[in-house]
Amino acid sequence: MKRYFLTLFVAALVTLAMSTDATARKKPATKAKPVASVGHQQGANGDLAEARLMGIYQLMAKAQGREALAQAEQLVKDHPHFQLAQLVYGDLLAARTRPVRMVGDVPEPMRKAAAPVLDQLRDESQMRLKALRERPPSGALPSQFLALSARNKHAIAIDASRSRLYLLENRPTGLTLIADYYVSIGKSGLSKNAEGDLRTPMGVYFITSNLDPKSLKDFYGSGALPINYPNVLDNLRGKTGGGIWLHGTPPGQFSRPPLATDGCVVLANPDLMALIRTVEVRTTPVVISQSLKWVTPNTARSESKPFEEALTAWQNAKSSGNMNQVLSFYSPSFNSNGKSLTEWTPALRSELNKVQGRAIQLKDLSLLRWTDSADTMVVTFGEVTDGTRTGPTKRQYWVRQGSDWKIFYEGVIG
Amino acid sequence: MTLARTTLFTTLRLLTLALACATSVAYADDYGDVSQLVRAGKLDEAMVKADSYLVGKPADPQMRFLKGVIQRNLGKQAEAIATFTKLTEDYPELPEPYNNLAVLYAGQSQFDKARAALEMAIRTNPSYATAHENLGDIYARLASQAYNKALQLDGANAAVPPKLALIRELFSPNNKGQHPATTALAAAPAVPVAKPSTPAPAAPTAVPAVVAPATTLRAAPAKPVASDSAAQESRQVEEAVQAWAKAWSTKDITAYLGAYGKEFDPAGQQSRKAWEEERRKRIVGKTSISVKLEKLSVTVNGAKAIAKFRQDYRAGALAVSSRKTLELVKTGNRWLIVKESTGN
Repeated sequence: MKRYFLTLFVAALVTLAMSTDATARKKPATKAKPVASVGHQQGANGDLAEARLMGIYQLMAKAQGREALAQAEQLVKDHPHFQLAQLVYGDLLAARTRPVRMVGDVPEPMRKAAAPVLDQLRDESQMRLKALRERPPSGALPSQFLALSARNKHAIAIDASRSRLYLLENRPTGLTLIADYYVSIGKSGLSKNAEGDLRTPMGVYFITSNLDPKSLKDFYGSGALPINYPNVLDNLRGKTGGGIWLHGTPPGQFSRPPLATDGCVVLANPDLMALIRTVEVRTTPVVISQSLKWVTPNTARSESKPFEEALTAWQNAKSSGNMNQVLSFYSPSFNSNGKSLTEWTPALRSELNKVQGRAIQLKDLSLLRWTDSADTMVVTFGEVTDGTRTGPTKRQYWVRQGSDWKIFYEGVIG
Repeated sequence: MTLARTTLFTTLRLLTLALACATSVAYADDYGDVSQLVRAGKLDEAMVKADSYLVGKPADPQMRFLKGVIQRNLGKQAEAIATFTKLTEDYPELPEPYNNLAVLYAGQSQFDKARAALEMAIRTNPSYATAHENLGDIYARLASQAYNKALQLDGANAAVPPKLALIRELFSPNNKGQHPATTALAAAPAVPVAKPSTPAPAAPTAVPAVVAPATTLRAAPAKPVASDSAAQESRQVEEAVQAWAKAWSTKDITAYLGAYGKEFDPAGQQSRKAWEEERRKRIVGKTSISVKLEKLSVTVNGAKAIAKFRQDYRAGALAVSSRKTLELVKTGNRWLIVKESTGN
């Protein structure tokens, strides 16, 4: 049999050969772990389907066509609806009879019949490769996660420019990347503004619930994790729409193109299941960003300092029981579940009266920063007055005005 | 695929045949008779003869092979599959039964099985041209299926299974009086040259074979005005093709290679020079070659022409009949071959 090597195709993939080795190193090298963590490891590469596809790419880059073909054959047998895998399998078969010049070098009549689908599959291929070539720096964390309390066992960060969801575990040693998955977002991209705009929101959110797949249509696949869009900041900005979920794919579809949803974030079912097994509702933050900035834990700490000073000043004001001093931390645009600052002040006053000048402590503090046209901070803590054992869990939204930070939302959660 | 390995397999294969057919000198005519009946389409008669022969020699690979061909031609797919499967078990070093198994599987759209069988055929005999060609077709079809799944096309264009070349005989029975094993010994090295892709007899569902009546002068009166010069052109093409066959038969390598135009691109990735060298070696090295053309039909379109025919090729003991298509281009006042393909 004449061997047609995958000429140009290979050139595009060669760089991958090195980068995915880095991926392999990335896997947390831990000893015996509890069952839940084994789940992470299995899910670390999307039920291994993506890792297997990348392994096939690497074999192609090394011109090991026969081995690549054998592995592709097995992959499509295991995941017959993985369209990108089928495409690559097709290329490898075709390469035994003619030169294959690019991913999805389909015969002309087919290309004509399905050009948009082909383009989407090539985009998916590119995004998967890009995310694996451009790995987050080791030990770094997304800049939004300034501080996470021990209660936030995990954090999720989505990078649209790489069609990627990164799952981090909050360990005593700090946030650690434990898995990442290919995702699809809205057909019209990011920055949701209005209902029906086919966009995925950008910002800092929390998983609000875990929907039972039995109650869902097939379309949502193996489950759904809704997030709290529109959040307080979105409401302030008059954004509309809702029902933004992280969910799975229909039975006949392993993964969807990078831009494919009405605004939700969609993962392959095995990936979503790994995510559902891992994360907790309500405490897991979800950052959705055009392009994540990864920073060192030290940078995060030093960047949170100025804000923490403002927060401490508020804490001291509240501990002192001086109402006017406390009110100086609140923004005129304050809105707590529909109440303006004036309407809300009596509640704050009665709270202060209860404290009676005793000091308050902020337990399990978590700081999430979101910066776009404004610089905002989402703060969650347990407010415990000295002499009592527990207190309400509160969430505040702060906005930076010049060098001052002002509260524009405060409420009790959970 | 080293030469040593090829030779080893060839030797093994011939040894098998020699052992299996040790007494078959006397029976060579029986093979010939059965083959003849198959060719003539007298399948029931061929079957009776094959069966009665097998009563005396139930292990005989050649006759069992012929029986498989007959069963297949009778439309008894399952029985033919059983016959060839058994042959691959009893004579795993013979590539032909694997090839024919693949043809049957492909006919049932079981391309994965067809692929596995062809890969076995090639492992058995790495220089096996027909299996290579058939495997190429299977790969293309499997690729098409995968692409259809990837692009979520309905795959309607894949409904008709590809037509693969069936091997009709394990070795040629034509050279009477010669020991079949020796016959095969002479024939084996010639296999890649001759491209013995004898196509399967056209199944009723298959794409109708384009066997237009030969374009001869008799066709001219039908289109008296336009076809006058066309008829002349087509006669020139016919002459060029016959001259090519004659040059091949007479081992006139210069005339043979001269029949090909500059633009002729050998199949696969072989360079023109390598191809010429190979042809030279293969043709000049034969003791005798006979190339006869049947059912020659020519279509002329301006300075381009297509000639289709059945080519009966004999070299020493090897005899293969295959369909061939030549594409020619008029260069000056000569018609030169620019493309050569086997099969329909």
